[in-house]
Amino acid sequence: MRLVEVIVLISTVLAVALLITVGFEHLVPSERVRPVAEFYLNATYNQYELRNYTAMSPEAVTAIVWDFRGLDTLFETSVFYLALIAGLALTRGLLLERAEKSGHGLSIIVRTVTRITAPMIVAVGASIGLHGHLTPGGGFQGGSVIAVLPMVVIVVFSASFLVIKGVTTTKLLVVRSLGLTGIGLTAIAVFLVGITLHMPAYVFQNMAKPDAQISMPYSVAGALISGTLWFFNIFEMFAVAAGFSIAFIALMLARTLESSRGE
Amino acid sequence: MGDKPMLPGETGVYLVMAIISLLSVVAVYMAVKTRDLVKAVIYSALQSGLYSILYFLLLAPDIGLVYIPVAVGLIPGVLLVLISKTERWEKE
Repeated sequence: MRLVEVIVLISTVLAVALLITVGFEHLVPSERVRPVAEFYLNATYNQYELRNYTAMSPEAVTAIVWDFRGLDTLFETSVFYLALIAGLALTRGLLLERAEKSGHGLSIIVRTVTRITAPMIVAVGASIGLHGHLTPGGGFQGGSVIAVLPMVVIVVFSASFLVIKGVTTTKLLVVRSLGLTGIGLTAIAVFLVGITLHMPAYVFQNMAKPDAQISMPYSVAGALISGTLWFFNIFEMFAVAAGFSIAFIALMLARTLESSRGE
Repeated sequence: MGDKPMLPGETGVYLVMAIISLLSVVAVYMAVKTRDLVKAVIYSALQSGLYSILYFLLLAPDIGLVYIPVAVGLIPGVLLVLISKTERWEKE
Protein backbone atom coordinates (compact mmCIF):
# COMPACT_ATOMS: atom_id res chain seq x y z
CA MET A 1 0.00 0.00 0.00
CA ARG A 2 2.76 2.38 1.05
CA LEU A 3 4.70 1.70 -2.20
CA VAL A 4 1.64 2.39 -4.35
CA GLU A 5 1.09 5.70 -2.58
CA VAL A 6 4.68 6.80 -3.11
CA ILE A 7 4.57 5.81 -6.78
CA VAL A 8 1.33 7.73 -7.31
CA LEU A 9 2.73 10.80 -5.58
CA ILE A 10 6.01 10.77 -7.50
CA SER A 11 4.31 10.23 -10.85
CA THR A 12 1.86 13.04 -10.15
CA VAL A 13 4.68 15.43 -9.30
CA LEU A 14 6.62 14.36 -12.41
CA ALA A 15 3.56 14.75 -14.63
CA VAL A 16 2.84 18.23 -13.31
CA ALA A 17 6.50 19.18 -13.72
CA LEU A 18 6.42 17.93 -17.32
CA LEU A 19 3.23 19.86 -18.04
CA ILE A 20 4.70 23.03 -16.56
CA THR A 21 7.93 22.61 -18.51
CA VAL A 22 6.13 22.04 -21.79
CA GLY A 23 3.60 24.78 -21.26
CA PHE A 24 5.94 27.26 -19.63
CA GLU A 25 5.77 29.75 -22.45
CA HIS A 26 1.99 29.83 -22.19
CA LEU A 27 1.90 29.78 -18.40
CA VAL A 28 3.93 32.94 -18.05
CA PRO A 29 1.51 35.81 -18.58
CA SER A 30 2.46 37.90 -21.57
CA GLU A 31 3.21 41.58 -21.20
CA ARG A 32 0.60 42.53 -23.77
CA VAL A 33 -2.85 43.29 -22.41
CA ARG A 34 -5.85 41.85 -24.19
CA PRO A 35 -8.15 44.34 -25.95
CA VAL A 36 -11.00 43.95 -23.43
CA ALA A 37 -8.65 44.52 -20.52
CA GLU A 38 -7.14 47.46 -22.32
CA PHE A 39 -10.57 49.05 -22.69
CA TYR A 40 -11.41 48.60 -19.01
CA LEU A 41 -8.03 49.91 -17.87
CA ASN A 42 -8.41 52.95 -20.07
CA ALA A 43 -12.01 53.61 -19.11
CA THR A 44 -11.97 52.98 -15.38
CA TYR A 45 -10.68 56.45 -14.43
CA ASN A 46 -10.80 58.68 -17.47
CA GLN A 47 -13.03 61.71 -17.40
CA TYR A 48 -11.55 63.38 -20.50
CA GLU A 49 -11.17 60.92 -23.38
CA LEU A 50 -13.75 58.27 -22.45
CA ARG A 51 -16.16 60.51 -20.57
CA ASN A 52 -19.18 58.44 -21.54
CA TYR A 53 -17.76 55.07 -20.49
CA THR A 54 -15.76 55.80 -17.37
CA ALA A 55 -16.65 54.64 -13.87
CA MET A 56 -14.45 57.33 -12.26
CA SER A 57 -12.76 54.80 -10.00
CA PRO A 58 -9.01 54.10 -10.01
CA GLU A 59 -9.78 50.56 -8.84
CA ALA A 60 -10.60 48.67 -12.03
CA VAL A 61 -11.84 45.55 -10.25
CA THR A 62 -14.45 47.40 -8.21
CA ALA A 63 -15.42 49.39 -11.29
CA ILE A 64 -16.04 46.15 -13.18
CA VAL A 65 -17.79 44.42 -10.29
CA TRP A 66 -20.23 47.21 -9.41
CA ASP A 67 -20.45 49.29 -12.57
CA PHE A 68 -19.54 47.52 -15.81
CA ARG A 69 -21.20 44.25 -14.71
CA GLY A 70 -23.22 45.47 -11.74
CA LEU A 71 -26.25 43.28 -12.45
CA ASP A 72 -24.18 40.09 -12.00
CA THR A 73 -23.05 41.29 -8.59
CA LEU A 74 -26.63 42.10 -7.60
CA PHE A 75 -27.64 38.51 -8.34
CA GLU A 76 -24.59 37.17 -6.50
CA THR A 77 -25.72 39.15 -3.46
CA SER A 78 -29.22 37.75 -3.75
CA VAL A 79 -27.86 34.19 -3.98
CA PHE A 80 -25.99 34.80 -0.71
CA TYR A 81 -29.18 36.14 0.85
CA LEU A 82 -31.17 33.07 -0.25
CA ALA A 83 -28.53 30.75 1.23
CA LEU A 84 -28.79 32.68 4.49
CA ILE A 85 -32.58 32.34 4.53
CA ALA A 86 -32.20 28.59 3.99
CA GLY A 87 -29.76 28.39 6.91
CA LEU A 88 -32.09 30.33 9.19
CA ALA A 89 -35.00 28.11 8.17
CA LEU A 90 -32.97 25.04 9.20
CA THR A 91 -32.32 26.39 12.70
CA ARG A 92 -35.80 27.75 13.34
CA GLY A 93 -37.37 26.67 16.60
CA LEU A 94 -33.92 26.38 18.14
CA LEU A 95 -33.42 30.12 18.12
CA LEU A 96 -34.39 31.95 21.25
CA GLU A 97 -34.09 35.68 21.69
CA ARG A 98 -33.43 35.29 25.40
CA ALA A 99 -30.45 33.12 26.16
CA GLU A 100 -29.09 32.13 29.53
CA LYS A 101 -25.47 32.85 30.34
CA SER A 102 -23.64 29.62 29.74
CA GLY A 103 -20.00 28.90 30.44
CA HIS A 104 -17.28 31.33 31.38
CA GLY A 105 -15.34 31.42 28.12
CA LEU A 106 -11.60 31.24 27.86
CA SER A 107 -9.01 32.66 30.26
CA ILE A 108 -8.83 36.35 31.17
CA ILE A 109 -5.72 36.83 29.00
CA VAL A 110 -7.53 35.67 25.89
CA ARG A 111 -10.59 37.73 26.77
CA THR A 112 -8.55 40.91 27.30
CA VAL A 113 -6.66 40.41 24.04
CA THR A 114 -9.96 39.89 22.26
CA ARG A 115 -11.34 43.11 23.74
CA ILE A 116 -8.30 44.97 22.39
CA THR A 117 -8.29 43.37 18.93
CA ALA A 118 -12.05 43.62 18.39
CA PRO A 119 -12.03 47.31 17.40
CA MET A 120 -9.01 46.64 15.19
CA ILE A 121 -10.85 43.95 13.25
CA VAL A 122 -13.78 46.29 12.69
CA ALA A 123 -11.42 49.12 11.69
CA VAL A 124 -9.58 46.96 9.13
CA GLY A 125 -12.87 45.70 7.69
CA ALA A 126 -14.35 49.18 7.48
CA SER A 127 -11.17 50.49 5.86
CA ILE A 128 -11.21 47.73 3.24
CA GLY A 129 -14.91 48.30 2.56
CA LEU A 130 -14.95 52.10 2.51
CA HIS A 131 -11.83 52.38 0.36
CA GLY A 132 -13.14 49.77 -2.06
CA HIS A 133 -13.24 52.26 -4.94
CA LEU A 134 -9.62 53.37 -4.33
CA THR A 135 -7.66 50.30 -3.23
CA PRO A 136 -8.12 46.55 -3.67
CA GLY A 137 -11.05 45.32 -1.66
CA GLY A 138 -14.68 46.27 -1.48
CA GLY A 139 -17.92 45.63 0.29
CA PHE A 140 -17.76 41.85 0.37
CA GLN A 141 -14.15 41.77 1.53
CA GLY A 142 -14.69 44.33 4.26
CA GLY A 143 -17.92 42.68 5.39
CA SER A 144 -16.36 39.25 5.69
CA VAL A 145 -13.43 40.67 7.68
CA ILE A 146 -15.88 42.29 10.10
CA ALA A 147 -17.83 39.02 10.29
CA VAL A 148 -14.76 37.31 11.79
CA LEU A 149 -15.35 39.35 14.96
CA PRO A 150 -18.63 37.74 16.11
CA MET A 151 -17.08 34.33 15.56
CA VAL A 152 -14.04 35.18 17.67
CA VAL A 153 -16.27 36.69 20.35
CA ILE A 154 -18.50 33.60 20.39
CA VAL A 155 -15.50 31.29 20.73
CA VAL A 156 -13.71 33.37 23.37
CA PHE A 157 -16.65 34.44 25.53
CA SER A 158 -19.67 32.19 25.09
CA ALA A 159 -22.31 31.28 22.58
CA SER A 160 -24.96 33.47 24.16
CA PHE A 161 -22.63 36.41 24.90
CA LEU A 162 -23.67 38.41 21.85
CA VAL A 163 -27.38 37.79 22.41
CA ILE A 164 -27.08 38.88 26.04
CA LYS A 165 -25.26 42.03 24.91
CA GLY A 166 -28.19 42.82 22.63
CA VAL A 167 -26.83 41.67 19.27
CA THR A 168 -29.77 39.45 18.39
CA THR A 169 -30.40 37.73 15.09
CA THR A 170 -33.50 39.87 14.57
CA LYS A 171 -31.49 43.08 14.82
CA LEU A 172 -28.83 41.70 12.49
CA LEU A 173 -31.55 40.68 10.06
CA VAL A 174 -32.79 44.28 10.09
CA VAL A 175 -29.24 45.52 9.32
CA ARG A 176 -28.95 42.95 6.57
CA SER A 177 -32.28 43.97 5.05
CA LEU A 178 -31.37 47.67 5.27
CA GLY A 179 -28.13 46.91 3.43
CA LEU A 180 -29.96 45.06 0.68
CA THR A 181 -32.55 47.84 0.39
CA GLY A 182 -29.70 50.34 0.11
CA ILE A 183 -28.12 48.32 -2.71
CA GLY A 184 -31.46 48.23 -4.52
CA LEU A 185 -32.07 51.94 -4.05
CA THR A 186 -28.54 52.81 -5.22
CA ALA A 187 -29.12 50.68 -8.31
CA ILE A 188 -32.20 52.68 -9.31
CA ALA A 189 -31.16 56.08 -7.88
CA VAL A 190 -30.07 57.62 -11.19
CA PHE A 191 -33.06 56.04 -12.91
CA LEU A 192 -35.46 57.66 -10.43
CA VAL A 193 -33.78 61.04 -10.89
CA GLY A 194 -34.15 60.57 -14.63
CA ILE A 195 -37.87 59.88 -14.28
CA THR A 196 -38.31 62.97 -12.10
CA LEU A 197 -36.40 65.23 -14.49
CA HIS A 198 -37.95 63.62 -17.62
CA MET A 199 -34.54 62.65 -18.93
CA PRO A 200 -33.40 59.27 -20.23
CA ALA A 201 -31.52 57.20 -17.64
CA TYR A 202 -30.68 53.56 -17.04
CA VAL A 203 -31.04 51.25 -14.08
CA PHE A 204 -27.54 50.65 -12.63
CA GLN A 205 -26.27 53.81 -14.28
CA ASN A 206 -23.27 55.43 -12.64
CA MET A 207 -21.67 58.03 -14.89
CA ALA A 208 -23.22 59.73 -17.90
CA LYS A 209 -23.74 57.61 -21.01
CA PRO A 210 -23.95 58.90 -24.61
CA ASP A 211 -27.77 58.75 -24.64
CA ALA A 212 -28.34 59.38 -20.92
CA GLN A 213 -26.54 62.44 -19.66
CA ILE A 214 -27.35 62.15 -15.94
CA SER A 215 -24.59 60.96 -13.65
CA MET A 216 -23.90 60.46 -9.98
CA PRO A 217 -21.47 62.96 -8.43
CA TYR A 218 -18.08 61.28 -8.52
CA SER A 219 -16.63 63.32 -5.69
CA VAL A 220 -18.04 64.97 -2.60
CA ALA A 221 -16.13 67.97 -1.26
CA GLY A 222 -12.99 66.91 -3.08
CA ALA A 223 -13.09 63.29 -1.89
CA LEU A 224 -13.52 60.78 -4.67
CA ILE A 225 -16.51 58.49 -4.11
CA SER A 226 -16.88 57.22 -7.68
CA GLY A 227 -20.63 57.76 -7.86
CA THR A 228 -22.58 54.63 -7.00
CA LEU A 229 -19.53 52.49 -6.19
CA TRP A 230 -19.03 53.90 -2.70
CA PHE A 231 -22.69 53.42 -1.80
CA PHE A 232 -22.74 49.89 -3.19
CA ASN A 233 -19.61 49.06 -1.19
CA ILE A 234 -20.87 50.41 2.13
CA PHE A 235 -24.29 48.76 1.84
CA GLU A 236 -22.75 45.48 0.73
CA MET A 237 -20.37 45.67 3.69
CA PHE A 238 -23.24 45.97 6.17
CA ALA A 239 -25.25 43.26 4.43
CA VAL A 240 -22.39 40.75 4.29
CA ALA A 241 -21.17 41.40 7.84
CA ALA A 242 -24.67 41.03 9.26
CA GLY A 243 -25.38 37.99 7.09
CA PHE A 244 -22.31 36.03 8.20
CA SER A 245 -22.90 37.05 11.83
CA ILE A 246 -26.48 35.77 11.72
CA ALA A 247 -25.27 32.44 10.36
CA PHE A 248 -22.72 32.07 13.16
CA ILE A 249 -24.96 33.11 15.99
CA ALA A 250 -27.66 30.77 14.70
CA LEU A 251 -25.24 27.85 14.40
CA MET A 252 -23.67 28.36 17.82
CA LEU A 253 -26.93 29.02 19.69
CA ALA A 254 -28.49 25.97 18.09
CA ARG A 255 -25.52 23.91 19.23
CA THR A 256 -25.64 25.12 22.84
CA LEU A 257 -29.38 24.63 23.08
CA GLU A 258 -29.11 21.15 21.63
CA SER A 259 -26.39 20.09 24.05
CA SER A 260 -28.21 21.54 27.07
CA ARG A 261 -31.36 19.77 25.95
CA GLY A 262 -29.52 16.47 25.65
CA GLU A 263 -28.17 16.59 29.18
CA MET B 1 27.40 40.13 -12.94
CA GLY B 2 28.25 43.77 -12.42
CA ASP B 3 25.26 46.00 -11.82
CA LYS B 4 22.85 43.34 -13.05
CA PRO B 5 20.84 41.58 -10.32
CA MET B 6 21.29 37.84 -10.03
CA LEU B 7 17.70 37.10 -11.00
CA PRO B 8 15.28 39.22 -12.95
CA GLY B 9 12.44 40.34 -10.68
CA GLU B 10 9.78 38.24 -12.35
CA THR B 11 11.72 35.03 -12.05
CA GLY B 12 12.10 35.63 -8.35
CA VAL B 13 8.33 36.06 -8.02
CA TYR B 14 7.75 32.85 -9.95
CA LEU B 15 10.23 31.04 -7.70
CA VAL B 16 8.41 32.22 -4.58
CA MET B 17 5.13 31.15 -6.17
CA ALA B 18 6.54 27.70 -6.94
CA ILE B 19 7.75 27.25 -3.35
CA ILE B 20 4.42 28.40 -1.93
CA SER B 21 2.56 26.03 -4.26
CA LEU B 22 4.71 23.10 -3.17
CA LEU B 23 4.15 23.98 0.50
CA SER B 24 0.40 24.12 -0.10
CA VAL B 25 0.55 20.66 -1.71
CA VAL B 26 2.25 19.40 1.45
CA ALA B 27 -0.46 21.02 3.58
CA VAL B 28 -3.21 19.42 1.48
CA TYR B 29 -1.50 16.01 1.76
CA MET B 30 -1.30 16.35 5.54
CA ALA B 31 -4.94 17.47 5.68
CA VAL B 32 -6.04 14.41 3.73
CA LYS B 33 -3.84 11.95 5.58
CA THR B 34 -4.29 12.98 9.20
CA ARG B 35 -6.82 11.11 11.31
CA ASP B 36 -7.41 14.05 13.61
CA LEU B 37 -10.14 16.14 12.00
CA VAL B 38 -9.24 19.27 13.98
CA LYS B 39 -5.68 19.05 12.68
CA ALA B 40 -7.06 18.51 9.18
CA VAL B 41 -9.01 21.78 9.47
CA ILE B 42 -5.86 23.60 10.60
CA TYR B 43 -3.84 22.17 7.72
CA SER B 44 -6.51 23.24 5.27
CA ALA B 45 -6.48 26.75 6.79
CA LEU B 46 -2.70 26.75 6.30
CA GLN B 47 -3.18 25.81 2.67
CA SER B 48 -5.71 28.62 2.29
CA GLY B 49 -3.28 31.10 3.81
CA LEU B 50 -0.61 30.04 1.31
CA TYR B 51 -3.15 30.35 -1.51
CA SER B 52 -3.97 33.91 -0.48
CA ILE B 53 -0.26 34.78 -0.85
CA LEU B 54 -0.42 33.19 -4.31
CA TYR B 55 -3.42 35.34 -5.23
CA PHE B 56 -1.53 38.41 -4.09
CA LEU B 57 1.53 37.50 -6.17
CA LEU B 58 -0.69 36.79 -9.18
CA LEU B 59 -1.90 40.41 -8.94
CA ALA B 60 -5.39 39.54 -7.69
CA PRO B 61 -5.36 41.23 -4.26
CA ASP B 62 -9.16 41.49 -4.28
CA ILE B 63 -9.53 37.72 -4.29
CA GLY B 64 -6.80 37.45 -1.66
CA LEU B 65 -8.69 39.81 0.61
CA VAL B 66 -11.81 37.65 0.34
CA TYR B 67 -9.80 34.49 0.74
CA ILE B 68 -8.13 35.37 4.03
CA PRO B 69 -11.24 35.96 6.20
CA VAL B 70 -13.41 33.37 4.50
CA ALA B 71 -10.96 30.48 4.19
CA VAL B 72 -8.84 31.08 7.28
CA GLY B 73 -11.50 32.48 9.62
CA LEU B 74 -15.04 31.57 8.70
CA ILE B 75 -14.85 28.14 7.07
CA PRO B 76 -12.63 26.58 9.78
CA GLY B 77 -15.09 27.99 12.33
CA VAL B 78 -18.03 26.28 10.67
CA LEU B 79 -16.05 23.07 10.24
CA LEU B 80 -15.03 23.05 13.92
CA VAL B 81 -18.68 23.41 14.91
CA LEU B 82 -19.44 20.49 12.61
CA ILE B 83 -16.65 18.38 14.13
CA SER B 84 -17.82 19.14 17.65
CA LYS B 85 -21.16 17.58 16.65
CA THR B 86 -19.55 14.31 15.53
CA GLU B 87 -16.31 12.60 16.52
CA ARG B 88 -12.90 14.14 16.41
CA TRP B 89 -11.04 11.03 15.23
CA GLU B 90 -11.59 9.53 11.82
CA LYS B 91 -12.22 5.79 11.88
CA GLU B 92 -10.60 3.19 9.64
